[in-house]
Amino acid sequence: MHLQVNGEDREIAVAPNRLLLDALREDLGLTGSKRGCDDSSCGCCAVLVDGTPILSCVALAASYERREIITVEGLGSLGELDPVQEGYAEMGGAQCGYCTPGFMIATKALLDRNPNPTMDEIREALSGNLCRCTGYMQIYESVKYAIEKLRAKSAAQVPATR
Amino acid sequence: MTLPAFRVLQPRTVADAVCILGDYGSDAMVIAGGTDVIPNLQMRLFTPRVLVDVKPLHELAEIAFSPRHGLRIGATATLTNILETPLLRKEFPVLAGAIGTVAGPLQRNMGTIGGNLCLETRCRWYNQSHFWRQSLGGCLKKDGNICHVAPGGKFCWAAWSGDSAPALLTLDAELEIASPLGMRRVALCDFYKNDGMDRIALARNELLIAVHVPAHMAGRRGVYHKLRVRDSIDYPLAGVAVSMEVDSAGICKDARVALSAVNPAPMLVKQASESLIGKTWSLELAERVAHAAIQTGKPLTTSGSTPVYRRDMVRVFTRRALEDTWENGHAKA
Amino acid sequence: MAKNINGFNLIGKPMAMTDARAKVTGLGKYADDLSVPGMLIGKILHSPYAHARIRCIDTSQAEALAGVKVTATGEDARNPYGILPIGHDERAFALGKALYIGDNIAAVAATSSEIAEQALDLIRVDYEQLPAWFDPEESMKASSNWINDERPQNVEKEYHHVFGDPDKGFAEADFLAEERYYAGEVNQAAMEPHATLAVWEPDNRLTVHSSTQVPFYLHRTIAAVCEMPMSQIRVIKPLIGGGFGGKSEIIPLEVAACVLAKKSRKPVKITYTREEVFLAHRGRPITIVYLKVGMARSGKITAVQARVIQDGGAYCGYGPVTVLYSGALLGAIYDIANVQYDGFRVLTNKPACGAMRGHGTVNVRFAFESILDQLSHQAGLDPLELRRRNLLKAPCITANSLRVTSYGLPECIERVFERSGWAAKRGKLPYGKGVGVACSHYVSGAANPIIRSNMPHTTVHIKVDRDAAVTVYTGASEIGQGSDTMQVQIVAEVLGVSTGRIRLVAADTELTPIDLGSYSSRVTFMAGNACLNAARDMREQIVAAVARKFGCAAEDFETRDGRISHKEDQSRNLSFDEAVAVALEFHGALTARGTYAPPETARGGKFKGAGVGPSPAYSYSAQVAEVTVDTETGQVRVDKIVAAHDCGKALNPLTVEGQIEGSVYMGFGQALQEDMVWKDGRLMNPSLLEYRIPATKENPEIESIIVESIDPEGPFGAKEAGEGSLAATIPAIANAIFDAVGVRINSIPITPDKILDALREKQKSAAGNKANASKKPVVAGVSR
Repeated sequence: MHLQVNGEDREIAVAPNRLLLDALREDLGLTGSKRGCDDSSCGCCAVLVDGTPILSCVALAASYERREIITVEGLGSLGELDPVQEGYAEMGGAQCGYCTPGFMIATKALLDRNPNPTMDEIREALSGNLCRCTGYMQIYESVKYAIEKLRAKSAAQVPATR
Repeated sequence: MTLPAFRVLQPRTVADAVCILGDYGSDAMVIAGGTDVIPNLQMRLFTPRVLVDVKPLHELAEIAFSPRHGLRIGATATLTNILETPLLRKEFPVLAGAIGTVAGPLQRNMGTIGGNLCLETRCRWYNQSHFWRQSLGGCLKKDGNICHVAPGGKFCWAAWSGDSAPALLTLDAELEIASPLGMRRVALCDFYKNDGMDRIALARNELLIAVHVPAHMAGRRGVYHKLRVRDSIDYPLAGVAVSMEVDSAGICKDARVALSAVNPAPMLVKQASESLIGKTWSLELAERVAHAAIQTGKPLTTSGSTPVYRRDMVRVFTRRALEDTWENGHAKA
Repeated sequence: MAKNINGFNLIGKPMAMTDARAKVTGLGKYADDLSVPGMLIGKILHSPYAHARIRCIDTSQAEALAGVKVTATGEDARNPYGILPIGHDERAFALGKALYIGDNIAAVAATSSEIAEQALDLIRVDYEQLPAWFDPEESMKASSNWINDERPQNVEKEYHHVFGDPDKGFAEADFLAEERYYAGEVNQAAMEPHATLAVWEPDNRLTVHSSTQVPFYLHRTIAAVCEMPMSQIRVIKPLIGGGFGGKSEIIPLEVAACVLAKKSRKPVKITYTREEVFLAHRGRPITIVYLKVGMARSGKITAVQARVIQDGGAYCGYGPVTVLYSGALLGAIYDIANVQYDGFRVLTNKPACGAMRGHGTVNVRFAFESILDQLSHQAGLDPLELRRRNLLKAPCITANSLRVTSYGLPECIERVFERSGWAAKRGKLPYGKGVGVACSHYVSGAANPIIRSNMPHTTVHIKVDRDAAVTVYTGASEIGQGSDTMQVQIVAEVLGVSTGRIRLVAADTELTPIDLGSYSSRVTFMAGNACLNAARDMREQIVAAVARKFGCAAEDFETRDGRISHKEDQSRNLSFDEAVAVALEFHGALTARGTYAPPETARGGKFKGAGVGPSPAYSYSAQVAEVTVDTETGQVRVDKIVAAHDCGKALNPLTVEGQIEGSVYMGFGQALQEDMVWKDGRLMNPSLLEYRIPATKENPEIESIIVESIDPEGPFGAKEAGEGSLAATIPAIANAIFDAVGVRINSIPITPDKILDALREKQKSAAGNKANASKKPVVAGVSR
């Protein structure tokens, strides 16, 4: 089957019972998405499918052919981190880092749709993800950092587009 | 945890799906969002030979609302899609409220209304790994002959644990079901069998297509109160949905109260409507309806919280839900 | 680089973690992310019975399954192990008896996880079930069927300590409170489930990549279990997805993977399911505390008596240390002369408990700070004021011989008093809302190592070569707390270079010197000091060479901004690169080393059990929680927690705040919603769906305040930051609930039904003495 992951077309052979998370981690070597639970309750495995964050641990890989999948590895590049990645790196949103890919995916999806969320909207958007390290405060700081960064970026782009 | 071996079939039409379901019978299971099915398969609660993936049936994902025809939600519409439907919050606040409490946004992005209405009943002796259940010798619902909730009994008390069903019950929803003989409609309240083992009236060769809410239910006030430990992720430990129509004088024209997570089925509180219709708001009346609610809700120790407490909360939440929809709603109106 | 107000370039400035980019790009590797060609997947067979004799195990059918490469049972690795030298009671797989549901019976390694799982079903085990013990107080009465024949009455260990004269102290008390407290069991629930990859190398060595906080102890244990010399084993710690103590001893999958790898001569990876994480456990034990405290009218505590029973599960683990910490830290936060402590660590047929964040102190702190609140109420004294009246005067030695060198608790109390608006709120908020205060403290590492010796607790090597990169070799284990970053900061600060020049090689037993591990909050103090010593050694060598070149004295030079410059004559300076070249010519090689061992004076008293509790320095925390209680549902919302923590010196305020907030969060979870529910030795909620660690929406707002007492022996004055705050959160919430609705809940988690029951009880007794229907009548504890 073909999986469109991080802008690349990848061909893999998968069994019908292969989960998207395992296909990403084991067949494609994209180990950034994590498994933290076994009952779709932690959000560590979140990836974007056509811009919507989903849980790859309860998704059958075969059902995601021809969908645009973005994993944490595809958020930005080492050359240029996505503002969301920068936020989590700079503001302490990533302590042990294990839940971080899932949180960043959920954050990215939020900010793509709503560049100026309220605190309640941030809490709601991240309420399907669990973090055991931060107590969430520095995660909120990380999201706010990304918001500022994106705002500055789009402000800088305005004259260029005119 | 690994998955059992199975094939995945993707039917091209509804008829195709019904046909496959008929052919494979108890060897087939329908999968849509996967948030309930996949963990259940990993726990080996089921070992189907075939999964029928209905996600590719795009027509099943459609959501339509018109003041004349009411609301029709296709079975594979995700909970997020429903929440984002224009006018939903305004026209069907009880449904929007209930769906908004399901798990978290990631789960709602995958989970479908059909899946939520067909959830497997839940019990702490049942929703466990293969190893866990084996170490116990199974239970009435799976691989055993003892109910650990009510030892000696031959009835399974696994609790209905969905949030959208009680809301839709208060809206007189109907289901559209495809069967080999064609389409059939069934009232939602007749769909649930109040049996932890055999929860819904859906034959092996039938497929849930859509849920309908009649047009006259649009605009009703409503609210859903959910008992849970965390403000996200958790299944309900108890749930109370209320919807009502109140005239300009504050008189209740019509009302429904429904409960979740305290029986093997979501359930309408029968006496509630009779008690409420034609009355004006009073705390005493609300208390009386709340008392009726706890006659309907019969929680047992199927989850982490105690039955006494859950029952107690059914009472409190029912009264509060009536306050919210009637008194406060009226004051605002 | 701007010089900051403290005269440091880097110390005290918030700094992103050095591994942050690896984490946010998804490129960093955790144990389960690793794979090697030909790798087998291992799975463990667990006991379905809580207490059973194993008559025989037949693995032949499993071995016959295509794809299965090897199986292992207790006979394959008979040597016992355990984290404490006095508690070697675990084996790779049970020999003779299974002691809990989930105990490790056998394992298989196969070409896929599916095949390995199928193979487990084919292993036949003949069990004879035995009577089992689940309740610690019942277990202590056992006259037969002991869990461990060498532990009569199922008591793993008991300690009895008397300091001062408790009888006299109680006689002098004007107020007395006596209560029973109960704390349910909690699990670390780190987001990363444990994983181990054991690789059998072509030269018959073993390389082990494991999610561990203690690579050095793992190294020793594998050597003992696999009967191989340590020199043939290499343990590498990859990125760790959180520990909190759950990875601070040897976890069964680690030895299982090694035994399978050795037997198959192949690489074997085992990754736990979330359920297995709960079955391996090592969390905080169920703790029953019988506590009696006497207080004078002045508010001075006159005596303390505590009887503590901990439900340790089926194996020793850290048990004796846990129960000793409970005693040692119980009263030592305040100036209390008279203390009696009786601690019991009891065996039951459940998974072994261990060293969870705030090891040993959390549950007794809940009891102690709750009873202080009760006493303050009895005496009509502000509970915050009560704490002010019992402060130590540092430096000092506590009644139980703990040496206190720095003591920021007074400032912590004043800071939370101000920031929480205490004076305006305590006792003055409307019914249903309340504030509560509590304090806690913790060690900055144990002054005595687990395995007694006079060797250093940490050694750090630094190498500088022609590329002028500074390579730091440290055994310290980064587990998400920021220890790598802290060490980079220290070395860069001392050498006056940017952090980008430092390359840290950490926690690889083949490359790095020893560090005892990331537990008991020892890393900043101990590895930090070792780093400081090594960096100073390196600095001295480089500066000596530069000084010689300019014909000046070494002390005339400073290292700053990537240069080694003469303090007066700025023209005499070299860039770091140039200085390194000069130093290499002069010294030949540039290597430096630093070690740390706690001073003799920090190592505590001489009584039995005195070895646990002593630390080179203690951290302190004071917190105020503000809550809203729904009196109809019993639900509690924690609106805010203000937490002040004395960490000596915040080397990196960003990570210190992260640690404080993370601790408060974990305390919040234990206070209100986390609980391992047991039914006849069976865990009813082994999942993140049913074991409810807090998510974003119910989690409180946390305001963290850093207090810096500058410890005389800490690196730049630093001490513990990662655990000490947890213990204060729970009683702060419990006390706030009392302030809000006038009931005391002496059992955690404080679930809504407990609050409702207590409120009803209170109403009944209020109806009894109808006299007043005032807002907050005094009520006694409701635990009995």
